[in-house]
Amino acid sequence: MPHTVTLEWRDGRETAVEVRATETVIDATERAGVGVPFGCLYGVCATCTGRLLEGDLVHVERPRGLKPRHRRDGYVLLCVAEPRSDCRIEVGAEIQADLVPNPWK
Amino acid sequence: MSTDEPDRSTDAHGHEHHGVEGPGYPTPAAMRTESEREKTAFVMSLRVGMDVDGPDFVGVVDVDPDSETYAELIDTVDMPNKGDELHHFGWNTCSSSCHAEGLMRDHLIVPGQRSSRIHIVDASDPRSPVIERVIEPEEVFEHDLSAPHTVHCVPEGKIVISMLGNADGELPGGFLQLDGDDFSIDGHWEVDRGGMEMNYDYWYQPRHGVMLSSEWAAPETYYPGFDLDDVEAGKYGDSIHVWDWETKEHRQTLSFGEEGLIPLEVRMPHNPEETEGYVGAALSSNIIRFWEDADGQWEWETVIEIEDREHPDWDMPVPGLVTDLLLSLDDQYLFFSNWLHGDVRMYDVSDTGSPRLVDQVWAGGNFGDRQSVGGHDIRGAPQMLQLSRDGRRLYWTTSLFSSWDNQFYPGMGEEGSLMLKADVYPDEGRMELDEEFVVDFGDAPGGPARAHEIRWPGGDCTSDVWQ
Repeated sequence: MPHTVTLEWRDGRETAVEVRATETVIDATERAGVGVPFGCLYGVCATCTGRLLEGDLVHVERPRGLKPRHRRDGYVLLCVAEPRSDCRIEVGAEIQADLVPNPWK
Repeated sequence: MSTDEPDRSTDAHGHEHHGVEGPGYPTPAAMRTESEREKTAFVMSLRVGMDVDGPDFVGVVDVDPDSETYAELIDTVDMPNKGDELHHFGWNTCSSSCHAEGLMRDHLIVPGQRSSRIHIVDASDPRSPVIERVIEPEEVFEHDLSAPHTVHCVPEGKIVISMLGNADGELPGGFLQLDGDDFSIDGHWEVDRGGMEMNYDYWYQPRHGVMLSSEWAAPETYYPGFDLDDVEAGKYGDSIHVWDWETKEHRQTLSFGEEGLIPLEVRMPHNPEETEGYVGAALSSNIIRFWEDADGQWEWETVIEIEDREHPDWDMPVPGLVTDLLLSLDDQYLFFSNWLHGDVRMYDVSDTGSPRLVDQVWAGGNFGDRQSVGGHDIRGAPQMLQLSRDGRRLYWTTSLFSSWDNQFYPGMGEEGSLMLKADVYPDEGRMELDEEFVVDFGDAPGGPARAHEIRWPGGDCTSDVWQ
């Protein structure tokens, strides 16, 4: 069953995409021509990191690029994530930068 | 002859092996003195991890000062997919095959660090390269390898790529061998990887049948960014590995511990007689020299230490982060970058065990006074280096790796990085920033991009090895 996923960027932009059954969020954004960053496409590199704001989103492969603290804080890897309900997700290149701050600063 | 031409006949520059034609130059000195000035630069250019919805590309930069488009990005070869993270790249063949008839240095092997996709680019016209073939990630994963990094050719018409992870982005990595004729995958290069788990860069000295490889971390560890907890947990490298180049077996591990955390680029002298070299330990910010002793065992010592610096706005002393180094073709000068501090250094290494600092250029970074060149803000700091064959021009780019850039120089993710240059005076042991030369990848067609490794048509200090 398809779900509507609403994507929010930190600059205030917002777009909704339909994500089909057994489709990842990145599959859907690429199909819709919405530029959400991604890299490895198997849940390792974390380039596609988003933050789940609302809804039920499941990882269909282990999100190796996230540490337990990231998952507790709602970060998700959109290349291996499928919605199980309508969702609202914060996206954009800067979300990945939340994961690891400058350790010397 | 212009080295911008695909290079087949070495007779034109005094090849001594009668009747045999091969790519490259018979000696490092021949390459240094008989090639012409570089006119074109290939630059790995990437948009992964940016809000620019486009693919990475091979950037073609005009470095011919007599050209109207000097210091401009004159062509961009877009990759067919997004998300690759182009990083390091190499040639199908180099001077190590100087005796091999029929080989031509005309194809670039361009891996995607994140995607594990490998692009074969026909660069026989250096001003207009085209993608000839793409090896898809699935073909690479079939060999339980991922995250392609360093590309070197092997004299017998093969190409070997260091691979940092297995098909799940975990350890161990290994080496992937391609066939140089049709660019198909042969399989693993190594026969026995012994105690090697992590991989990064490698260099080989075929006359002595030896190869040395270094260590970053597992892709799942370094891809998302740099976390000190991972260093404390032992997830980052501190060793280099000695391999038998002929039998492809692991022979020795040199473990540096705290002195050599995250050993990245490995450089050995171009002189094929030498059995020593240097590795830059990025996090420890030490240059470590390694050498073979009389009984065939390899030894090491730290020969340059970069002191951490206090930053007024930061909590902890900041390491230099030595991310790249190279040796001039005459093996007289070692150059390396301190990406967190913001300087590039030039050392006299004519006494290999006692390097002598001769000059330093500051440009960007967290400690440099100079934060702009030619009206362009310097985003990032000296990082990937490339030296002209004659040793008189040092070029560099300022981006390290998309997720690491985001931590240390976040502006690059929005505005892209730069390519800069210093004029080098080897006879005087000094260098000077060329304020007239700046290629701002923030102005790239289609939107800002990061710039990474640089190579010239015809070969360079970090591509060519001699047999």
